[in-house]
Amino acid sequence: MAALRRALIALFAVGVVFAALDVVFTVSSRHEADKAVAASLGAIIGLSFIGVGVFAWFRRPLSRFGLLMTGVGFAWFLAGLSESNSSAIYTIGSFLSPLYVVVAVHMVLAFPSGRLETTAERAIVVAGYMAVLVVRLPYFLLGANTTDQLRGTLPRDALALAQRPDLADVFGYSGAFVAGVGLIATGVLLLGKRRRASAAQRRQEAPMLWNGLFLAAVLIGAAVADFAGAPEGTVTAAGVVALVAFAVMPYAFLAGLVRSRYSRAGAVGELIERLNDPDRRKGLREALADALGDRGLQLVYWRPKTGRFVTYEGQPVDLPEPGSGRAVTEVERDGMRIGAFIHDSQVLDEPELVRAVAGSAALALENERLEAELRARVEELESSRARLLEVSMFERRRLERDLHDGAQQRLVALSLQIAMALGKLDSDPAAARALLDAARDELRKALEELRELARGIHPAILTDRGLEPALEALAERAPLRVELEAIPGERMPAPVEAAAYFVVAESLTNTVKYAGARQASVRIGRDDGYAVVEVRDDGVGGADPTGGTGLRGLADRVAALDGRLEVHSPPGEGTLVRANIPCVSS
Amino acid sequence: MVDHVNVGTTVLIVDDHPTFRATARMLLEAEGYDVVGEAPDGETGITAAGRLEPDLVLLDVNLPDLDGFSVAERITSRAGAPAVVLVSSRDSSDFGPLVLGSGARGFIPKGELSGAALAELI
Repeated sequence: MAALRRALIALFAVGVVFAALDVVFTVSSRHEADKAVAASLGAIIGLSFIGVGVFAWFRRPLSRFGLLMTGVGFAWFLAGLSESNSSAIYTIGSFLSPLYVVVAVHMVLAFPSGRLETTAERAIVVAGYMAVLVVRLPYFLLGANTTDQLRGTLPRDALALAQRPDLADVFGYSGAFVAGVGLIATGVLLLGKRRRASAAQRRQEAPMLWNGLFLAAVLIGAAVADFAGAPEGTVTAAGVVALVAFAVMPYAFLAGLVRSRYSRAGAVGELIERLNDPDRRKGLREALADALGDRGLQLVYWRPKTGRFVTYEGQPVDLPEPGSGRAVTEVERDGMRIGAFIHDSQVLDEPELVRAVAGSAALALENERLEAELRARVEELESSRARLLEVSMFERRRLERDLHDGAQQRLVALSLQIAMALGKLDSDPAAARALLDAARDELRKALEELRELARGIHPAILTDRGLEPALEALAERAPLRVELEAIPGERMPAPVEAAAYFVVAESLTNTVKYAGARQASVRIGRDDGYAVVEVRDDGVGGADPTGGTGLRGLADRVAALDGRLEVHSPPGEGTLVRANIPCVSS
Repeated sequence: MVDHVNVGTTVLIVDDHPTFRATARMLLEAEGYDVVGEAPDGETGITAAGRLEPDLVLLDVNLPDLDGFSVAERITSRAGAPAVVLVSSRDSSDFGPLVLGSGARGFIPKGELSGAALAELI
């Protein structure tokens, strides 16, 4: 900020030097009729634009408006060079004399951000610069104002390659015609801009806009009068009025700034009043949208648990990308992030306003954040409850199918084999014995399947002996090497033990099915009131915790205990499943 | 104890459990039936019934593709259709009136399957 301040002060000093040069040229001019008026008014107008421009630049470094206003001042001083008696300096000044009008049009159209927003605005400004710098060149090359120069009232046209005043006039009139059309178009665009502006913006823009419109109207009127061959006095009078209107422009901008400061103070005051009024508190978004003058403003709330912003309804939100035209202002309270506004990035041109609004809204936003947090939690609980129900239905169907296809079929076969054996007991004892042998084999398999099934529902060893022996048995049965690194010997609450057991069992099942791992390791620790279960394998990775019922079911099972399941599975780097389960008693 | 009523009666077994198909074949052949084919699902069973023209189709209710009742309907709707007997490891009370509505001759729980039980129904 200090560097900017120094640079801007230096810029203003350069402006003062330009003003002094202009005064010197004007006072010593052999072709200026009214030296006192031209010298004083010229210096005042130029320095007004540069001074107010530098001030605006300092106040809003992000807006290019200050740069443009300063530019108008310097362009104005360039036009003043035409007062010089030196042919070269006179010609430069004379050639560049309409430039300040184009920069001023650029500035007014780009108000207040300093950026041109529509294609029409850009087209007008580009056409203006082209008209001044390119179209007018032949006018000078063909010996502009030759007749005046011959009369000796003006310095020689230093750019003249030929003396063809008749042809030069063609370009002179074309330039004037382009200028007229450009000014009319500018007037139309300014009216459109006013219609689109919000109430707050209008308050700020009004003086500048009316000033610009008035100036455009006077200049158009003067041009038309000149074209129609009105008496010179009328044209000169219109020129004086336009000059005064132009001189007023920087102050019109300052007036707008003051109005908006008052209205901004008003907007923040009104916001605070609205936030404190219990009947009107509901529309926080509307209140903020009004205060910042952005009707599309969106409020989002911070959820520390998921590390994401959510809407009022609790839905996660993606923040806008930089350069999308939308910007994010975060709101903090006591150093904690509580939410953010997503708004038009132009709002950032008024950083004090944004800060003031963010500060006043923090408390109300914190309240709404808590509500949003609650809603998000309820939504999560509802969907996790629904998923738990779904998982339990799925489990019951699987259990029924396993029983039907497994043990039940074996028992059916067993029953038939015994019936056949009974039939052959007398006639063919050897065949009966073979059938009974087969029946015993079938019975053994049926028992094994029932045991496996019962373990899947809830392993008895877990209830009877606790996590360590249950996991040891699980590790022993697993078809790959499972290292139990750290398992607490002491008992934990039964639901926690069961959840931990199934996290390990399901993770190992996945490892065997999908990971192609050589070994797995299990670690269960206690950390700050949580049981932390970690199952790691050295397989192919790439597991998707949202796909399939296994990991989703586990996550819901853990969430039902208010815990959290994470899966880290970068492709090629193995899989780590970690569950944090609240575990208060030991 | 071969019952002569059964001798030469041709049978098609439709069931998705290979253990049951093998045991049923052993049991029925021991009782004089002639098991001419086996099918693991409903569609294959319907095709096999048309091709083999057995006297009897022993049909499981729970098949992986179609359920046994609609398979029974489709088999028995043809002219000169074989007799169909439904079997299941579930009890007939699980199915209510579905059995007789399907065109099947009757239902035997799998564990009680025997030549005599079959002979009673056909």
